[in-house]
Amino acid sequence: MKIDESKCILCNQCIPYCPVEAIKEGEETCYIVEDECVECGICEKHAGCPVDAFYEGEMDELRKLRKAFSNPLVPHESTAVLGRGTEEMKTNEVTGRFKKGHVGIAVELGRPGIATRFYDVEKVTKKLASIGINKLEPCNPLKPLMKNEETGEIQEKYLNERVLSAIVEFDIDRERVPEALNAIKEVSKELETVFSLDLAGKLENDNTLPAAEIARDLGFDPSINGKTNLGLGRPKAKEGK
Amino acid sequence: MTHTLHRRGPYESLINDFVLFAIPAQGFNEKGSIPKLTKFFDIVIKYDPVNFGDCGTGNKYGVGEKGIRENITESSVVHAVFTDEETMEKAMEEVKEADLGMSVIATGVLDAVDEIAKKVGIERHTIEHSLGIWGNTNLLPDEEILEITTMCGHGMISSNLTQLVISNVKKGTMTPEQAAKKIAPNCHCGVFNPERAAKIIERIVSEN
Repeated sequence: MKIDESKCILCNQCIPYCPVEAIKEGEETCYIVEDECVECGICEKHAGCPVDAFYEGEMDELRKLRKAFSNPLVPHESTAVLGRGTEEMKTNEVTGRFKKGHVGIAVELGRPGIATRFYDVEKVTKKLASIGINKLEPCNPLKPLMKNEETGEIQEKYLNERVLSAIVEFDIDRERVPEALNAIKEVSKELETVFSLDLAGKLENDNTLPAAEIARDLGFDPSINGKTNLGLGRPKAKEGK
Repeated sequence: MTHTLHRRGPYESLINDFVLFAIPAQGFNEKGSIPKLTKFFDIVIKYDPVNFGDCGTGNKYGVGEKGIRENITESSVVHAVFTDEETMEKAMEEVKEADLGMSVIATGVLDAVDEIAKKVGIERHTIEHSLGIWGNTNLLPDEEILEITTMCGHGMISSNLTQLVISNVKKGTMTPEQAAKKIAPNCHCGVFNPERAAKIIERIVSEN
């Protein structure tokens, strides 16, 4: 995003709207620190600039990438899904993505509201790849950015790009939950940014999610609130592992 | 896209925070989903949600009811926010009876959602927990600010704007309700709960 300095009247109204503090007050106008801006578009859409000084301008591949991972109104070209991740558990009764005995784990880098650079994302993908967890969900928008999925490496040209969030999602056997969560806990100490961590799974016949107990035993604290797929979608996915 | 998962706060606050939304599964049942998602929207809107929206279009405070209804597509995710279990139950029951064949997700206190589901004859399929925030947590704003900002999972509501409106309430230039409505439009998907936000702001102001 850019500010037309010939229009800006330095009212500063826009500054608090920026989730990543990329808008600064200059001597005569406000300006945007390009390297900090994640292209979420909130300033242009909601800050109510009295002189319409915000404009997007020409965007190269890397600015478009920032936008795709930061502006929820923009679907990823590769997936047609709005937002940063995939449908994950939301359509599980139809897609059969997480079957019984399997667990979905997602590392939502940059959330809540801090943003991330892809070099931090790569620390997570490499760490998980080092224990053999390296199969990103086919619709994950990170997939086209990978240099080598086996090793978790991301293409160099993307590493310094900053986005509001990027989600590393994977599906593993329940037995691997301790290994995965411990690896995530370990890599969390190396990050410049934050992440929100998710745990999802199909319920057992007794209406429980054993993986939540496993997480609790490992010292994690599964939230009392969360998302429930009510199982109303059709056609239903076939059962089985 | 776990945009409603990481809402934070104590039970007493979260129990007044429910989101019900419908989503087609791309590649499985998105074809022909527009009338089904529209029907879902028509059902939930009857129960007077405090916010509603569609990720690709906007929310109650932006495009409004007509704008959302007329622009539903096969990749829409249609949301409604409720503040009590009774209303959530009525909306969920009618959605179930409508038998739309779309995936429907209920966000809220998991045990409460389970109880509601049982009452209306729904067996839960899959659940998702948040395991909290990790990494360089020194960067985070105060927990009370997070209780508000995490109601927009896409991070469109900045902590600085939230602090600004709280400061305005403290100065007496805004009511908590006005403050909540000032920040609500930024959450495109319409999953932000302005009623709950106003209560949190009121609590923050009274404690300081």
